[in-house]
Amino acid sequence: MIIKLALRNILRNRRRSAITLTVIVFGAVGLILFGGYKARTFYGLRESTINGRIGHMQIFKAGYAKSQSQKPLDRALDDAAAIRKEIERDPRVKMTAAQITLMGLISNGEKSETFIATAVEPPKERAMSSQRITAGKELPDNEADAVMIGKGLAESMHVKPGDYLTLMTTTTAGSLNAMDVRVAGIFMTGVKEYDERAVKMPIAGAQQLLQTTKIEKLLVFLKNTDDTAAAHQLIASRVKGIEIKEWSELAPFYHQVVALYNGIFGFLGIVVFAIVVFSVANTILMSVFERTREIGTLMAMGTTRGRLRAMFMAEGVGIGIIGGLLGLTIGVLLAMLINRGNVMLPPPPGYTVGYRLQIMMQPPVLITAFLVSFVTATISSILPALKASRLKIVDALGHI
Amino acid sequence: MTSKHVIAVTGVNKTYPLGRIRVRALSDVDLTIGRGELIALAGPSGSGKTTLLNLIGCIDKPDDGRIVVDDVDVTRVPLHRLSTLRRDTLGFIFQTFNLIPVLTAYENVEYPLLLQNLPRRERETRVRHWLREVGLEQQAKQRPDQLSGGQRQRVAIARAMVTEPKLVLADEPTANLDSETAARILDLLGEINARTRCTFVFSTHDPSLIARAERVVRIRDGRIEHDTTSAALEVA
Repeated sequence: MIIKLALRNILRNRRRSAITLTVIVFGAVGLILFGGYKARTFYGLRESTINGRIGHMQIFKAGYAKSQSQKPLDRALDDAAAIRKEIERDPRVKMTAAQITLMGLISNGEKSETFIATAVEPPKERAMSSQRITAGKELPDNEADAVMIGKGLAESMHVKPGDYLTLMTTTTAGSLNAMDVRVAGIFMTGVKEYDERAVKMPIAGAQQLLQTTKIEKLLVFLKNTDDTAAAHQLIASRVKGIEIKEWSELAPFYHQVVALYNGIFGFLGIVVFAIVVFSVANTILMSVFERTREIGTLMAMGTTRGRLRAMFMAEGVGIGIIGGLLGLTIGVLLAMLINRGNVMLPPPPGYTVGYRLQIMMQPPVLITAFLVSFVTATISSILPALKASRLKIVDALGHI
Repeated sequence: MTSKHVIAVTGVNKTYPLGRIRVRALSDVDLTIGRGELIALAGPSGSGKTTLLNLIGCIDKPDDGRIVVDDVDVTRVPLHRLSTLRRDTLGFIFQTFNLIPVLTAYENVEYPLLLQNLPRRERETRVRHWLREVGLEQQAKQRPDQLSGGQRQRVAIARAMVTEPKLVLADEPTANLDSETAARILDLLGEINARTRCTFVFSTHDPSLIARAERVVRIRDGRIEHDTTSAALEVA
């Protein structure tokens, strides 16, 4: 009877209930769209960070992180081939890629700039596809003196594919060394500051410039990001003398974005919560006021305060469930519509390329949107329910 | 009070705040009501008859004095703890019918039985019986706004009677009805009283209703002026 009464009372003043439901639906849709956008952004940023730059894990020689040495490759991996073979035995591992990072000066004969180079294995680098080639080609497999440079750096050096530049850096022994390199291609990552300094070169070329045969680190790529912790554990148990860092430790930008978006999402949630609370509380309070004489009658017939509270709270719960379900349906339909459309967003701060708006419909986002609607509507009905149950019967019966 | 009395009111006083002053609604009222009686509380508007009904119906508290309903001293118990007594012992009929607008006639009559947690089959038997008694079997599925004033009051009577209460309190039960409908409602109340021997106490200033009561308690300015049977009144 309580549920029947609640549903019929919700339908009693249809216009008011419709306005309240609209508020809840707007809130739920807002949470679904923003939550789905956030989830897609996190997923995209995470996967592009991992697969494009840092891998799921990076393997260093033990003590690398605490090393204070200024010399390049002072804590290089000793037997990279053996370590790599052991790591690749795990079927969860997609591939491993050797890398060296180095810094120095790059010159076109007229001017010099600082550069940050990442020395890579060209075939593996192509699989990572972290950048967009704007001119020329990717790094060739067997050309140690070929390089790719960032778009901003190419503009600064006034070079195009086929032109030559000179790289200069400190070797592992501490002396200066220089090397002429051919610009094979020009790329952009979208991060302006990085593209103004970035150089990509083959490992062989970097080893020649640094006068070494070692590598700095191994990047481990997994088939599934969720396997990171388990794969980390296995590698740590199989390979000794190494230091492993997971992608999460190597991606501060990702965490900054997550914290920022979570803050915005949390604020949005509070706003939605407040609007729904006031709207539903207002609806039920109005209902209590209009039905004061009815409440008096129910109490005169022997309805307990607890039952009355349950009746009014059931209305809040009912509004929350109906609003939440409607919000879910409309939110999912809108998200599908947006995903099918080709809505492009402008580049975020620090980026030069825009991206397509995508809404990820993850169960946690949908559940959260529904629960926020349901819980807030329920909470909002507590006060009106208490007010109804505390009315004096004789006053309620005499209410006009 | 012996168990042949369903109500005993002793030395009851009641005042209400009205702005800065307090208005005396009842002064030193004593009244006993026997089981099966059909009593009219008569008096002009503001005389205190509704206040007395409210006190007997355990929906208001006296300032002092004692009220015993079906052997329970209700003056010592907070009103919200008297819901079981109201549910099982009392029935209410209101001047404005006070049906629940979102429920059908059947559901309105069924509601007090749901409070008693009676099984569905027994509820159905009782509701059908009382709808038949008040002549509304065909209107069972209609909501109050689809019924006439007389039909609504019949539903209210069925709702008051369905729990088989010991005492039914009716506050001006015919005040919102035309004279013909009012007469039919009075006939119905008289028949039910005669058949069930349930005690009926109603407030009224309607002479035709007063004439049908076995006993009339006249109230004026919060005091009981006369307490006699209608026949004795006629003789007087």
